[in-house]
Parts: sequence; C-alpha cells; structure tokens
Amino acid sequence: MERQNPWLSFFVHLCALLLALFLLTPILWMLIMSVSTTNDLTTIPLRWMPRHIDFHRYVELLTVAENSAGEAFLASMRNSLAVATMATLGALLVAIPGAWSVSRSPGRQRLALYAVVATYMLPPVALVVPLYFALAALGALNSVFSLAVVYLSILAPFTTWLLKSSFDNIPQEIELAAMIDGARLDQIWRRITLPLAGPALATGGLFAFLLAWDEFFYALLFTADQRAKTLPVAIADLAGGRVSDYGLIATAGVLAAVPPVLIGFFLQKSLIAGLTTGGVKG
Amino acid sequence: MATLTLQGIKKRYGPVETLKGIDLDLEDGEFLVLLGSSGCGKSTLLNIIAGLIEPSDGDVLIDGQSIVRVHPKNRNIAMVFQSYALYPNMTVARNLGFGLEMRGVAKADRQRAIEKVAAVLQIDHLLDRKPAALSGGQRQRVAIGRAMVRDPKVFLFDEPLSNLDAKLRVEMRTELKKLHQRLGTTIVYVTHDQIEAMTLASRIAIMRDGVVQQFAAPQEIYERPANLYVAEFIGSPGMNFIHGELRRQDGRIGILSKTGAAGASFLPLAAANLAAADAAIEARIDRPVILGIRPETVTLANSSTAAAPHLASFEAQVEVLEPTGADTLGTLRLGADQVTARLRPGDLQQAGGTARFAADMSRASLFDPETGLRIS
Repeated sequence: MERQNPWLSFFVHLCALLLALFLLTPILWMLIMSVSTTNDLTTIPLRWMPRHIDFHRYVELLTVAENSAGEAFLASMRNSLAVATMATLGALLVAIPGAWSVSRSPGRQRLALYAVVATYMLPPVALVVPLYFALAALGALNSVFSLAVVYLSILAPFTTWLLKSSFDNIPQEIELAAMIDGARLDQIWRRITLPLAGPALATGGLFAFLLAWDEFFYALLFTADQRAKTLPVAIADLAGGRVSDYGLIATAGVLAAVPPVLIGFFLQKSLIAGLTTGGVKG
Repeated sequence: MATLTLQGIKKRYGPVETLKGIDLDLEDGEFLVLLGSSGCGKSTLLNIIAGLIEPSDGDVLIDGQSIVRVHPKNRNIAMVFQSYALYPNMTVARNLGFGLEMRGVAKADRQRAIEKVAAVLQIDHLLDRKPAALSGGQRQRVAIGRAMVRDPKVFLFDEPLSNLDAKLRVEMRTELKKLHQRLGTTIVYVTHDQIEAMTLASRIAIMRDGVVQQFAAPQEIYERPANLYVAEFIGSPGMNFIHGELRRQDGRIGILSKTGAAGASFLPLAAANLAAADAAIEARIDRPVILGIRPETVTLANSSTAAAPHLASFEAQVEVLEPTGADTLGTLRLGADQVTARLRPGDLQQAGGTARFAADMSRASLFDPETGLRIS
C-alpha cells in the first residue's frame, strides 16, 4: 500500500466533488424546473425549491391530441429514434469493414482514412448549402431517411476511426491462427474479431447515436414539419413562441434524455473494456 | 507424417530480396530449426511454408505435392505463434477445439480429441478457463495443444519459447523434445537461440541475409562449421579464431600465428585435417588463414599432451580466469589473438602469468580469411 499524503487525498476528493457538482447541477436544475409551477419559475427572486411538485407538463408532452405540444413532441421523439437508429446502424455497417481493412493493410491505404477523417474536420456550415441543394434536387428534404443519410456521412468517418484503433489492438496473429484453423473471413469476424472489438463497437455505437440524437443544425435546416423534425428542433420550437414555458422546455429535455440514458445503461457491461487481455503474451 | 521440400524459395519486397533462393529437403519426422539473427528471413520462410506469405519464386512441397497455391487451412499444417495468438474470448477447450469445429468435426469427436491432447499436455484441469487466467507456460501449452489437436502433417513453430522466463524456457524445451519424440511429426521451428537449435533440431539451417549458410545436423554444424559466420554464431563461448599463415616447418604443415608480445607460435595441423583436403591446403601454404578452435579443445599442457600427435602446444599469457562452477573460462593471449579456453577448475590458480596449453587440432577448423569459407 502506497503511503498517502492526507492533503493530497483531500485535494483529490475536493476535485472529484467539484467535478460532480459541475456536471450534475444543470441536470438537477432541469429536473427541478420540469416539476415546478410556472409561478415559481417566474418570481423574482427565484424560488429554487418548488412549493408544489407539478407533473402536468409530463402529462402534456406524453398525451397525443390534435395540434397539441404532446403530438409534436412525440412525433419528434419517434423521428429522432428512427434517424439516430438508422444512422448508427448504417455507420457501424460501413465502419466495421472499412476500419478492419485499413487496420489490416499496411502503409498507403491508410491515407484514404486520413482523407475521410479530414472531411469530419470541416464545419457543418461549409457543407450545409451543397447538401441542401442536393437534397432539394432529389426531392428528399424533410425526410427522416435523408436526414439519416446525412448523419451517416458524419458518423461513418468518426466510427471508422474509433474502430480502426480498436482493431489495431487485436493482434493480427489471432486472425491468422484462426485462418490456419480453417475459419473463413466471416467466421473470423463473427467468432473472434467482433467479439473482441465488442467494447469499441458499443462505444462507437453509443457515441454515434448520441451525435445523431443531439444534432441540431442540419435537422433545423433540412426538416420542416412533424414528418421529419427531430427532438432538438422540436424543443427549440417550444422556446420559439410568444410565451416561453421554461418548465416545458426542461420537461422535454428530461424526456429527451431518457432513451440515450437507457441505451448507455444497457451497454454498460460491454463498455467496460479489457476483454482482449490474455490472448497474447503479457 | 510427411516430408517437406523447399525449392528455390525467393521473396522480394520491392527492390529488397529477403530470401535469395532457399533449398531445403526434410525427411519424414525431422525437426528442422531455422536459426539466425533477426532480419535473416527465417520467419518469412516459415510464413511461406504456412501460406501466410506468398513466395516470389520457388515451390513448397509436402509429401511431394506442391502446396504453394493451396490455402493455408488446406495445407494440413499447424502453427504455433510467438505471441501464442490464443482466442481471448474463448475457453481453453474452445480454443483447442476451434480448428476441428471449423472443419465440421462432430461435437463428441471434438470433445474426445480435446481431452486427449489436454491429457498429453497436462492442461486438462484448465479447460474451462479463459486465456487471461493462464500463466505464460500454460498459454504456451494451450497454443501447442491447439496445433496438435488437428493432427497436422507439419508443425510450424515461430519462436515459441521467447516469451517465457529462463527457467520455464528450459523446461518447455525439454517437453517439446519429448513431444516430438512421441508424436514423430515433421517440425519446422524458428529461433534465434542457438541452444534451442542445438538441443531440439535433427537438422539446423543457419540463415543470414536470406541465404542458408549451412544445413546440417547440430553436431556437424558445431564441429565442422561451413564458414566463419556459422563458426561464430554457434557455441558459447564462441569459437576462437587465430589469425596466421599456413607454413611448412620441419616437414609438418601448420599455422604460424601472428606475432604478438609473446612471440609467434607454430601450431601443426593434425593428420585428420590434412587428409580431408590435401590439395586445398597445399595451395594455401605461405598464405594467410584463420584457425578456428573451440574453447573446450584447449587444455593445459602436461607431459602426456606433449606426446599426442594431434595436440599442438603453445605458450600463452593468461589474462583473465572466470570460474563458472563446472569449469573455468580462461582468456588467453596468443600473439595478436585472444583465445578462450574451457579449463578444469583448479587447473590454474591465478591469472597474470604465462602457461603452456595444448589445442586439439583434430577438432580444429581452417578458414579462408578472404571468403570466410571452410578449407578443412
């Protein structure tokens, strides 16, 4: 056991506490806002703790009625789920073979990946006008599918990059051994490479999903109504009227956070890396 | 059980030729060790046999059948990698059975084969563990077991012991030898460790810069190295090289060592050397040669050594004595050359003085200093 300076220990705990406060306070405030009455949120000085717990906004957002906030919100939730799922699955589908090929081929082929990743560095503003015209020409604006395709173009380089470094960590000798053992490429992938890359696949998938889930700029410009609007746009709409109900925005935020949190919760196990140790020396 | 033949194997990477025409012929059940320092092409050659690398030129035959165009999985070979390359996500049993599973062997047969191999390698108690929960030696056994379970025609080993600690390496070496004696399968084994090569091989191919320097049985390589490189590479401490000129003196042919502080010594060749290559030796009289003598062939001279015709005696200064327990290594100064002698403990009490030594010339080698090739 290493000898610890009590002050150092204190300092470490203090930092951890500050970080936790910094990260959790906004979430806590969002939760409080979502259950406070409008009066409590608009009095000056501000009332930090609500007098009544008020769930009516949750009911409002989760009930479907003609032309209600709930209808718009649930439609956008559905759109977001569809867009993010399609874009994420598409990204993994493109990234797995791409990353594997780049990782397993020497030298010059890697330049291709650098070039692709370089496009990721471009600011969205640079691409939005050509993309808009392209989608307009194809008659594909305001569609969940085309938004997913646009997201795929952002997510694929990023997931490929992430998976490549994970494939790099799987010794090629393991795959060669499997090849000599008689496994076909698809069997090698299914039985060895992909299970070993599991944590990276989960991480890559989760990050891709979150990026697609949170994306605002493209969604704002390429969607027009409930058929394709995603959550970030729908939440912005809540703030766009003459009267902004901050509580309603907070409630939408809380509800919008639920799917990613659930996914993260279920992926938790595979996110914990360290599966590859032991196959080779060391 | 199979013969293995390599014919004119060449491998070029762009302008660089890493293998410059390798010809080797192995009989059934041989244990071939490819020996050389890193970059000599030994691993490339092994990978060519395995089918992981395609040769630029040449042919590989197993039992007389060319396998150069055959996919690795259909070559009926098994390979043990330096890093073991176990499948980390599978239990030991699954690791062992993977090759059979991929070949569609029924589960019951697979189970029997796994248990049999596990019993031979004494890893039957580890079958349910994952590789991460095994020690280095255990992983090594699993890797060997995975190769054994398919009962291949040829085993390929790529520096399998280099990741083990010294003690375990010696143990596993013995076990590998036992295993080979028991299975009798043809083995090709790559290493840079000359002790491994000497102890395991039925024949050694010493490689350098993509060329086989010598392909012979271990003892033959040790006693009659084909050139200076091989002579230097094999043996620890290494062979002594005495630079001098071939002379005829008093009717005997011998080496006159280069003059040093102690003066020149004349070491007459033994009859065995002369008979072997008479013409070659005659042609080199009065020209420079290099005499190679193994440390253990140098002994302290006494009254009985003086009479033996194959022993050449010389006087040398004793510079350092290094006792290793079983014997004492003496560093001697003979003319311009340094000579290591493997002496008995107690032969000499202390370094510093001069003493008379005798070298067994019947076990000596003679090299051409220009080409480095063996004369006799």
